[in-house]
Amino acid sequence: MSIIKTENLCKDFGELKVLKNCSLEVEQGEVVCIIGPSGAGKSTFLRSLNRLEKITSGKIWIDDVLIDDREHGVNRVTKTHKEIAALLLDMGMVFQRFNLFPHLTVLENVMLAPVEVKGMEKEEARKIARELIAKVGLAAKEDVYPAKLSGGQQQRVAIARALAMQPKIMLFDEPTSALDPELVGEVLQVMKDLAKEGMTMLVVTHEMGFAKEVADRVVFMYQGSILEEAAPEKLFSSPENERTRMFLQSVLNT
Amino acid sequence: MVKKYSKLLIIIAAVLLICIPLALTSPSYEELASRVPDGFYKEEVKKSSEVYKDWGVISSLIITQQISSSKAEKYYMVGLAGMTFGVYVDMGTKLNFWEGMVKFTANCMTWLPNLLRGAEITILLTIAAVTVGVILSVFLALGKMSKIKILRGFCEIYIFVFRGTPLLMQLFFIYYGLPLINPSLAINNRFMAAWIAFGLNSAAYCAEIIRAGIQSIDKGQFEAAKALGFNYAKTMKKIIIPQTYRRLIPPIANEFIMVLKDASLTSIIALQDLSKITQSIMTSTNDVLIYLPSMAIYLIITWVFTKIFASLEKKFSVYE
Repeated sequence: MSIIKTENLCKDFGELKVLKNCSLEVEQGEVVCIIGPSGAGKSTFLRSLNRLEKITSGKIWIDDVLIDDREHGVNRVTKTHKEIAALLLDMGMVFQRFNLFPHLTVLENVMLAPVEVKGMEKEEARKIARELIAKVGLAAKEDVYPAKLSGGQQQRVAIARALAMQPKIMLFDEPTSALDPELVGEVLQVMKDLAKEGMTMLVVTHEMGFAKEVADRVVFMYQGSILEEAAPEKLFSSPENERTRMFLQSVLNT
Repeated sequence: MVKKYSKLLIIIAAVLLICIPLALTSPSYEELASRVPDGFYKEEVKKSSEVYKDWGVISSLIITQQISSSKAEKYYMVGLAGMTFGVYVDMGTKLNFWEGMVKFTANCMTWLPNLLRGAEITILLTIAAVTVGVILSVFLALGKMSKIKILRGFCEIYIFVFRGTPLLMQLFFIYYGLPLINPSLAINNRFMAAWIAFGLNSAAYCAEIIRAGIQSIDKGQFEAAKALGFNYAKTMKKIIIPQTYRRLIPPIANEFIMVLKDASLTSIIALQDLSKITQSIMTSTNDVLIYLPSMAIYLIITWVFTKIFASLEKKFSVYE
């Protein structure tokens, strides 16, 4: 069963075509990494999956349910807003800049969405939140405000916050790009643990080491198109596309 | 203790420092009398307005009882000067500075109960108006940012009208004008009328403050909320608006102090606020120095509320 499937996703900003016919399928339990030079449309692709960006045309399925079928911006899917919102909850998202809620403590950050969106009992939400915070290794920081945490700690809280909604797939939008180099490891470790537990993950990243080690499949994007997708061993050692080869050369040699 | 009230002590000291040299250097009767032009007592000169432009001359005439202060008031342009110098005239003798201070203090004590009643109305009106204003303004601000055209248009017009016309006229219109349009719109309670006018006006100003506050929140917060499945109302209520509190307090405090002083406009509908009472004491006693205790009360109110807002700001900054 595919958790997410897209077909011919296109996105225009006026004349500029940011995404050109991107088709991708992510199976349950898979870890897919999207790599590519900056400006390739990786983040836009990820963000259009959970509707942070509106696509111009193309189709999106979540859990094999068609939620977007657009032609020139008009959605032909007749599902109600509520049904689609419920399906979108299956996606958890982690941002480059963490985007924690600064006015809430770590525990409140993680608890808020389950209580407010899912209507979960506070006690139960607190229990789940505590477990998740402990899982990302921040049990001692429960009652601290985000401003007092390091970037790596904030990102781990952000992961816990997304997990609290019990998503079927986690989208990571360059989760380590805004971090100091020495903090990258702790976040990647949490992500590796997640992958080991069988979480389905779609990761936009510049961490080639992570992609090589964890990904089941690596997707290379260039100028809004998906040029190549393959298992990491194959893509990193013998890329078929000339662009992929050039990109990998420039990234891996530095 | 001294440090806590340092601002007030400085103000009192400054007032005394200004008053003492002014009192000590005030000219003697003889000097003032010498400025009375020759032949003043002829009727035609008395009627000449030139004489009455010299306050020193007028006061010397009153002090030396060549004309009585009540008579002086009858003459052209005498009014204010007559009252001002009247303070220091008691049965024809000029009081020295300290005697003047004693009399002034005694006067203040008699005025104080009335002034405090006025202050109560001023404070109540300000709190009530700003509270209503802030609550309304949240909806106005959200409306102005809405995608629904009619709603946005309504909010824009509301803010345009209430910010673009004088509060004095709005107040006048609501109290005196509305009943003429339809008698059932008459608001017989003066306080209520002032409350409505000030609340509606303040809402327009606060709406812009709140809109700016909301728009200053990082876009990532909206995205994170959306990714977690929050709808618009919950995003605003639980995530965005709580983050604006701290940023809103300084401009709202500013608005509060503006309204506090604008409350003096209510004298046109005869609401007995601090300014109106000050004004009526002045007219009945002819004593312009009533403004000193009155302004002091305004300062104390402002000072107290500034402290309250500062502590609120501190409370909401706990997470930074």
